[in-house]
Amino acid sequence: MSADVVNGRAGMRVMWTYIGTGLAIFSLMLLAGILLRAAQAGWLPVDPGTFYSILSLHGAGMIVAMAIAGLGTLWYLVRRETDLDERIAFLAYGFFVAGVISVIVSVFPGRYGSLWTMLYPLPFVGTYWPSWATGTWLVGNALVMLGFMLWCAQILGALLARYGGVRGMLAIDYVFRNRAFTDSGGKPPPPAMFAAAITAFDGFVTGTVGLVIGTALLVHWIDPSVAINPLWAKNLTYLFGHSIANLTMYMAVAGVYVGLPMCTKRAYHTSPQLAVAWWATLLFVIIAYFHHLYMDFAQMQWMQFVGEIASYFAAIPVVVVTVYGGVMLAHRSGMRWSLGSVFLYAGMIGWVVGGIGALLDATIPANVDLHNTLWVPGHFHTYLLEGVLLFTLGWVFVNLEQRADAVSSLLTRWLVGLGMFGGGALFLLPFYSAGAAGVPRRYAVEPPPGPFWASVATVGAIVFVAGFAICVIEGIRLTRLRKSEEAV
Amino acid sequence: MGNGNLVFEIFSVAAALAIIAMLFLANYRSREPLAQEVVTSRGYALRRYWFWLVFAVAVASFALTVPYFPYPRAGASANAKHFSVVAQQYDFAVSGVIPRDVPVIFDVTSKDVNHGFGIYGPNGAIVGQVQAMPGYVNHLPMTFTVAGHYTIRCLEYCGIAHAAMQGGFEVR
Repeated sequence: MSADVVNGRAGMRVMWTYIGTGLAIFSLMLLAGILLRAAQAGWLPVDPGTFYSILSLHGAGMIVAMAIAGLGTLWYLVRRETDLDERIAFLAYGFFVAGVISVIVSVFPGRYGSLWTMLYPLPFVGTYWPSWATGTWLVGNALVMLGFMLWCAQILGALLARYGGVRGMLAIDYVFRNRAFTDSGGKPPPPAMFAAAITAFDGFVTGTVGLVIGTALLVHWIDPSVAINPLWAKNLTYLFGHSIANLTMYMAVAGVYVGLPMCTKRAYHTSPQLAVAWWATLLFVIIAYFHHLYMDFAQMQWMQFVGEIASYFAAIPVVVVTVYGGVMLAHRSGMRWSLGSVFLYAGMIGWVVGGIGALLDATIPANVDLHNTLWVPGHFHTYLLEGVLLFTLGWVFVNLEQRADAVSSLLTRWLVGLGMFGGGALFLLPFYSAGAAGVPRRYAVEPPPGPFWASVATVGAIVFVAGFAICVIEGIRLTRLRKSEEAV
Repeated sequence: MGNGNLVFEIFSVAAALAIIAMLFLANYRSREPLAQEVVTSRGYALRRYWFWLVFAVAVASFALTVPYFPYPRAGASANAKHFSVVAQQYDFAVSGVIPRDVPVIFDVTSKDVNHGFGIYGPNGAIVGQVQAMPGYVNHLPMTFTVAGHYTIRCLEYCGIAHAAMQGGFEVR
């Protein structure tokens, strides 16, 4: 058996383990999310303590689910370019699993309910859960961060070695000395490697920040006399929280760089513009979090100004390079609209729509009306459900379709589309409508018109789940089709 | 402030245009496929203009919104009357009556955890908000032009009774 085949199988093992785990956690969190919206609609009797405990689990679980799936895809793609030790990927995976178990224990039976972006001193003041649950939650978060940083270190090291340091990994010579670089036979990294490099670099920064604030909270948990500055804690919490949530999109977009060309039979090349776009993303992912503190007037004012312009500029690499490039790939390509290609293309639309919602929220005068209203979960649910998830499913289905040499029937595509896009729209629009009306987020019992919109959203979420279930069944069918053909 | 519906309308129109444009650009099955080189050549030429358009919209949006930032006004309202607001799980301590048509500044802090001091006007729309943070005082400048009852809601998750944390004052 050739080394390539062995290496390919290692990559596949890691990728499918990560993606399978991510989608399994996502499915459970999806059900938890429906329960929360149904409770807000008044359809289910859920006491506030249980509501906030489940909300804490739902938020952390969704981010971790999407991150694990994206990290698996990236690991596989990097593995195609350079040597990676499978054991380190599974060691990181072990940290993820241990962290997830710890977080689950803190909620069931611990009833921890301070949410995943807990703002000091909340996890310690006026709690309705035992102290050990706070510690277990913090340890769980730290374990996930350690796994994430291990993954980042492995990928960063491999990319630096493969492309000859930072200059090669970020294609600096390719951009500034393009003629000399290409004349000498140099080749820049393929697009997906930029996604991997920026995820690993920013992920390492994010993970470090997460561990710093996590350690500070753990120290306070052990010795309450050790005080933490609340503004400092809030900055670090959102730097960590916003960046890791944002990075899930940049992890998943690697699937577009590789998957969409497989559908269109066209190539997605690295261009100097693409390299520069990723440099910009590297910076903006880290500083865009400033917009989470717009309503903290004690924050240094320059950070508020930078927050707005950085949030605007963060959109430029997306709409001018990545999505624009994706549209160019699909445009008049004669692409067959399979589930895989539909998911990948629709994911770009979801990314743009969620981005519009995010940009409006990042506009400070509008943020006065929208800050911490349901508008905020509106935009990030759009990102995650109709962006990150679709990219992940798109990548999965492109691979399954290619190996099975088959695509789903028109009826299946319509049913999945109606469920996941129609149901998705019905689920997402109420967030925006209620948010624009000033309904606060994170309310176990919402003021009007919150309950009405929560009812609509619950119906939308159920329709979405039906579409997602058909999608899962279709995925299993394609997998079996491949296996049965291999058996023959 | 109170512009939630306008923001929703902008979002709806922009999102609809983006969806239609992207579907239109993708759905070309009825026409002959083009070679990638042709699409790329045209696309790259257009992208230069697209970049400058997006860049200009970003810079213009920033420039147009800066005058409406709430921060500089906190310093400019030096002669405004100050009202202390102290948030605490799960209540707001605030004056019961606020004068109408007069610049006022709410000096907002918290005794325990982070809270959000969100002011809802008589019509139910948010008219102003600021965070209430322990150890810090945030100054929220406001001028109320409409008399009536204003509701305060907590806009930062603060614990089990977060949703019930309300207060209010009259503007006369």
